[in-house]
Amino acid sequence: MIARFALSRLALSSLLGLVLCPYLAPACALDLIAHKDVDKSAVTRNEARLYYTMRLKKWPDGTLVKVYVLPDNHALHRRFANEVLNLYPYQLRRVWDRQLFSGTGQAPTVVASEAEMRRRVATTPGAIGYADGPPQDPDLRALEVR
Amino acid sequence: MPMRLAILALLTLFGPTHAKALEFADGKLQIHGFASQAVIDSSANRYYGDSPDTSFDFTELGINASYQFNPRLLISGQILSRRAGDMYDGSPSLDYGLIDYTVLSDVQHRLGVRVGRIKNPLGLYNETRDVPFTRPGIFLPQVIYYDKVRNLLLSSDGIMVYGDLYRGFGNLSATVGGGRAIADENVEWAFLGGDFAGDLEPEGLAWIGSLWYATPAEQFKVGLSGVATQLQFDAAPGGVLGAGTIDTIDLIASAEYNARDWTLVAEYSRQPLDWDDFGPFYPFDSNVIEGYYLQGSYRLRPNLEIMARYEEGFADRSDRSGRESSALTGGLTPPYDFFSKIATLGLRWDIHPKVMLRLEYQRHDGTFALSIRENPDPSELTRDWDVFAASLSVRF
Repeated sequence: MIARFALSRLALSSLLGLVLCPYLAPACALDLIAHKDVDKSAVTRNEARLYYTMRLKKWPDGTLVKVYVLPDNHALHRRFANEVLNLYPYQLRRVWDRQLFSGTGQAPTVVASEAEMRRRVATTPGAIGYADGPPQDPDLRALEVR
Repeated sequence: MPMRLAILALLTLFGPTHAKALEFADGKLQIHGFASQAVIDSSANRYYGDSPDTSFDFTELGINASYQFNPRLLISGQILSRRAGDMYDGSPSLDYGLIDYTVLSDVQHRLGVRVGRIKNPLGLYNETRDVPFTRPGIFLPQVIYYDKVRNLLLSSDGIMVYGDLYRGFGNLSATVGGGRAIADENVEWAFLGGDFAGDLEPEGLAWIGSLWYATPAEQFKVGLSGVATQLQFDAAPGGVLGAGTIDTIDLIASAEYNARDWTLVAEYSRQPLDWDDFGPFYPFDSNVIEGYYLQGSYRLRPNLEIMARYEEGFADRSDRSGRESSALTGGLTPPYDFFSKIATLGLRWDIHPKVMLRLEYQRHDGTFALSIRENPDPSELTRDWDVFAASLSVRF
């Protein structure tokens, strides 16, 4: 009975999320997503920043981290930078450009849409990205940021 | 003119619809580039070309490739073509070309080494000083990032060790390196005041180091960086100058504060110069070049930024009015050629993540920031002058 109650609450909240997300952005879970083979379920904020500033390039098992982002002017990208990384989007751009144009690092791969983000992360081993709402795809896993 | 046609073609090619980064092998191989054209108009003095008659001679083109073989090994290189008035003619050069090997890396630290041609990590802007998107304006603060003598500080051929510490209190980053500095004729113009019979070449190793501290989200960042170089002048027989050496250490202290809508930056630099054995006809023996600026940027919208900066630079910090230095030249060079005080107002509009338009106004008091190569006759210098500039830049 309790299990069924919990299940229906989960269903209700994700339904609410789906309905309300476009209107009530702050109420929605915006989280990191990763390829299913990434052997982690949570990262610290500091760790997330290191992956996204391209300074930590490998997962604990040694796999290359492949970073995906939406364009700088995409609303979800701005929210991700602010809420998940606690960085302003212009700071991320500055860090990437400094590495990219001095040859000391690379830039993340820019994808055009959320759908492409989910697809690329699901099909690329070691990939990390972000999504609005929990991943439904079995090839994706959520990475909680603590 | 062919240069201008080339840039026009590139601007079209890199236009928003085509501007997609080139990536291969799952993004491990990346190719990026940029192109920029500026137009400059000054009330007097030549600044990046024949600016009193409107100059188009400030063009920057770059293309780079990098390959991340595995989490430890990165190889990268960039070709740069830069036309900057009479200082640089646009012939392509290897901007950097290096192998980066990460010895250790985890959530708490990173240690690695770079070998090859490496951009010197000097101040906030030196490493990417020729990439318009990474600069705070069309012109970098000239009292620290001199364009008249950029190559000596730009990069070195050698080795560099880097280390980072990531902790709760923030991040510490350090680099230490040694290599051969790269000099060109501009160095001779800037440090000797002319293109004399003989060659001015780097002697021995240039030493480079930097130390930075940043709060965890890089809201606040401070750093100290420097490079020490020795130059050897091999005088030609019968030349005016004797064979001499120039020792120089360039030190820059930097601070940056980042808020959501604005960024505040200040840098201070000091460069002691010692000239030895140049003979009786060379008037200078030692002095300390000094420069500093305060710069604020305000983002009206995420893609629209205004910038204001005030900077001052002196050829000799113990003679800020330039009177003594001018007297040493017998009054041939006016006192105001030994300092520059520049107020700048700029606007940056990122029309698209790949396309940027800039407008800039500068008010100059003094001519120290000018290239002697572009303005060889000191009697033609004007003390008070201003500059209007605009630039269009694209990237992919």
